[in-house]
Amino acid sequence: MLQVLLSGISSGAVYGLMAMAFAVVYYVTRVINFATGQLLMVSIMATVTLSSAGVPVALAIVIGIALSTCAGVLIYFVAVRPVLRVNRFSFAWLVSTLGVAIALESIAAAIFGPTSRGFPALLYRKNVHIGNASVTWQELLAVGVALVVVIGFEIVRRRTLFGKLGMAISSDPEMAAAVGANTTWYAVIAFGLGGLLAGVAGVLVGPITFANPYLGDTYGIVGFVALMIGGVEKPAAAMGGGLVLGVLSVAANTYIGSQASDWFPFVVVIVVLLIAPHGLFASGNPFTRWTRRTGVRTATTTTGVRP
Amino acid sequence: MRATAVGQDVTERQWARLVPLGTAMLVVAYLAATFRIAEGTLYIQGVVTTAAVFAILAVSLDLVAGVTGLYSLGHAGLFALGAYATTLLNQHGWNIFLLLPVSLIGVGVVGILLGTVSLRVSGLYFAITTFIFTLVVTVLISDLQFTGGLQGLAGPVFPDFPAGLSGLGSSVVWCVSLCLLVTLVVVWSIRSSPLYPVLLAIRDAEPFAAAAGVRTSAMKVGVFGLSAALAGMAGWAFSFLGFVSPGQFSWTVSVNILVMVILGGMNTKLGPILGAAFISAFPVVVSIDPFIQEVVFGCIFVAVIVFFPTGIMGVASAVARRLRPAAPIAVEVVDLADGAPIAYAPLAADVPAESRHANAADENALVCRNVVFSYLSGTRAVDGVDLTVRRGTIHGLIGPNGSGKSTLVNLISGQLTPDAGTIEVNGHSVQHLGAASRPARGVMRTFQTAVLVKELPARENVTIGLYGRVKHIPSRASVWPLIPSARRDHRDMREQAGAALQSAGLDRRWSGALVADVPHGVEQLTQLAAACVGQPSILILDEPLAGLSATEVEQVSEILRRLQRDGVTVIVIEHQTRFIFEMCDDVTVLAAGQLVTTGRAADVRSNERVREVYLGQ
Repeated sequence: MLQVLLSGISSGAVYGLMAMAFAVVYYVTRVINFATGQLLMVSIMATVTLSSAGVPVALAIVIGIALSTCAGVLIYFVAVRPVLRVNRFSFAWLVSTLGVAIALESIAAAIFGPTSRGFPALLYRKNVHIGNASVTWQELLAVGVALVVVIGFEIVRRRTLFGKLGMAISSDPEMAAAVGANTTWYAVIAFGLGGLLAGVAGVLVGPITFANPYLGDTYGIVGFVALMIGGVEKPAAAMGGGLVLGVLSVAANTYIGSQASDWFPFVVVIVVLLIAPHGLFASGNPFTRWTRRTGVRTATTTTGVRP
Repeated sequence: MRATAVGQDVTERQWARLVPLGTAMLVVAYLAATFRIAEGTLYIQGVVTTAAVFAILAVSLDLVAGVTGLYSLGHAGLFALGAYATTLLNQHGWNIFLLLPVSLIGVGVVGILLGTVSLRVSGLYFAITTFIFTLVVTVLISDLQFTGGLQGLAGPVFPDFPAGLSGLGSSVVWCVSLCLLVTLVVVWSIRSSPLYPVLLAIRDAEPFAAAAGVRTSAMKVGVFGLSAALAGMAGWAFSFLGFVSPGQFSWTVSVNILVMVILGGMNTKLGPILGAAFISAFPVVVSIDPFIQEVVFGCIFVAVIVFFPTGIMGVASAVARRLRPAAPIAVEVVDLADGAPIAYAPLAADVPAESRHANAADENALVCRNVVFSYLSGTRAVDGVDLTVRRGTIHGLIGPNGSGKSTLVNLISGQLTPDAGTIEVNGHSVQHLGAASRPARGVMRTFQTAVLVKELPARENVTIGLYGRVKHIPSRASVWPLIPSARRDHRDMREQAGAALQSAGLDRRWSGALVADVPHGVEQLTQLAAACVGQPSILILDEPLAGLSATEVEQVSEILRRLQRDGVTVIVIEHQTRFIFEMCDDVTVLAAGQLVTTGRAADVRSNERVREVYLGQ
């Protein structure tokens, strides 16, 4: 039981980082960057390539994360900014970021071939025992990083002018621009931060998964599912979604069968979408919603009617 | 209600006579092309049948994405359901031809369920939930035993033609071709039916559609269900082309189909077909390393979205416009100097009033009792308001900004549901009914800022207002042009809409102009015409004068007087007090969500509190 919880939290921390990589971008720009999973893959493949070419592992990791950060910014300029300039409310970015995802994945497959390569073990071999359960230092590191990221993000968001402007942009970019916020700069930072988080998640998970061009697909989908479970409105909620998904997946693997984690995330997300379409940790969670049902319904039907 | 048919309408009728002939020629050409391909080499057959299956998918997706504005990423999943259901049930001995209706109805029902679940929240959520649906289907068919896992299954064999017909060539080609033909008939029929403007209104102007009596949520689910059924049929046909395996139905396929639609041109007749032909033939014609090919695909997706968001058809029509500029609307420009009218026809002769749902014995058209409403939490926007509107009067609703006028009107027209209190229209309590049910009770309304379908002509927008008065529009839409009575109804609707525009004082030349191109005043009057054409017994106008010129204000006054003569009860919110006290029989004053006073205009005007809170005297 404790083992399930610990393993679940540690893998959930990585899912949560991926979900936050989606959520940070969505929070500022109202765009879901469907190539986020591929950014994780970029950092893993770059780290492996560099370290096997003789570059020190620590440096390889830094370069790998830097590359995925840059790739995130590049995606904004190539695939997102042009379509938002035409129409801020269209969903055209949905196709263009998926297009980038397909292209990135196939470029990696064309260069490295579709097979897996080893990843530096880092802290993976070192175990630590807590009660009768055991986890690796690598897994504990993931939990620590996730905690630091969530807390740091919330402090910046709530306590600094920078974060408050970000909140302003997320609710009304035109208004925020009118009071002097540089919305482009914020979008660049958001996409860069998304790439950074995905890159960090890649390094945390690399020793377990090894390096494969199609990892982005797997982790992109898992991170996206975690995002849907937690809720897209707040990045911290996305992390919560990741943890819930992590624990439930490990539990399913332990108690149902080793294949269960393939399909179990989808069962969870379907249930969540049915009972709480905005996510488990969204501000209007299902329980308060239930009591205020009529109010919520009318509020959603009036947009566009109210003066 | 027949309008005088002149010039334009005559050419329209002449065109209408040519349409059946043209259609027949097109169908013959289509069948001839099918015959050529069915006789052709296996290579050609393979390329064309695959492209045709994707054309079915793209055309069906355009119906939801392009026309109704629902970006579905679930089409690969629905497609998979059709293909796997056909393959698996055929292995259990089900007849292939029985499986066609099974796929159509079964996948259609799945689509309706999926739509019901995912359309509860906003548009983006629809894309996401349908995306997850495709992921779930892919995971299921890869992991389950009886679906053959990642290997997939061999599809059923489609029977050859009987000996007598063997000259027709490959039966599979005919099968796929006829499926595409059916899809085109259904989707193109909808595009030429009166449902088309309604669907565009759901996409662009949902409150307007609801106020015209369209149950927008049900309609979205229904359209998605139809599109899903067509995707199921595509799956049925696809299963005859060889193997079915999970890789053919992954989420990238959903994106591919959406890209086909965008590449060809969203919301166009031919666009999705061109896009499907291009994307599905590309890997066959240009055979390169599969990884490189995927890279090229990804880049094409991005490039299309970034550089050609209107697609092939959009580029083509832009080129065509440049080569042959459309004649500008023959209307004199406003002469600002002497305020001459833009294009107002003399008001058309009075249309005799028909029965107005009126229950003549009942003196009051509308009675609100103790209506309470608050947005989310806290302050009450409308706080225990009683309002009685006498039949056949013009009733003004005034009050400072934020006094709850628009909220009250939204409660009366059903956009909002009151927390407490009753609203009676013509003696029936309606507070529990949604916005779409109000037109049937005789309530029509306009909005403060007109939100119409920009890409349609004014007259087509006005036909939306007739939605509640013409029966069976949704059920007939998919075969609309094939039914003579439906064609007649459509002609009537257009004539009534044209007449309504004229009686709103708009020159006939405006009726063909796209709403995107007309000035604000014309847009407001078009909205008014769309509300009047439904022959309401109670007409609610939310600031009808906002942004209108002095001439246009005169115009609206005249229209109101005429409506009153016809026995229509009018409720009007307006800030121009001169207009209100000149036009209205009764006036109600609201402040901070509460009733200040209500009564005859003259009494209200001299009321001390009204002067204090509103007139500022």
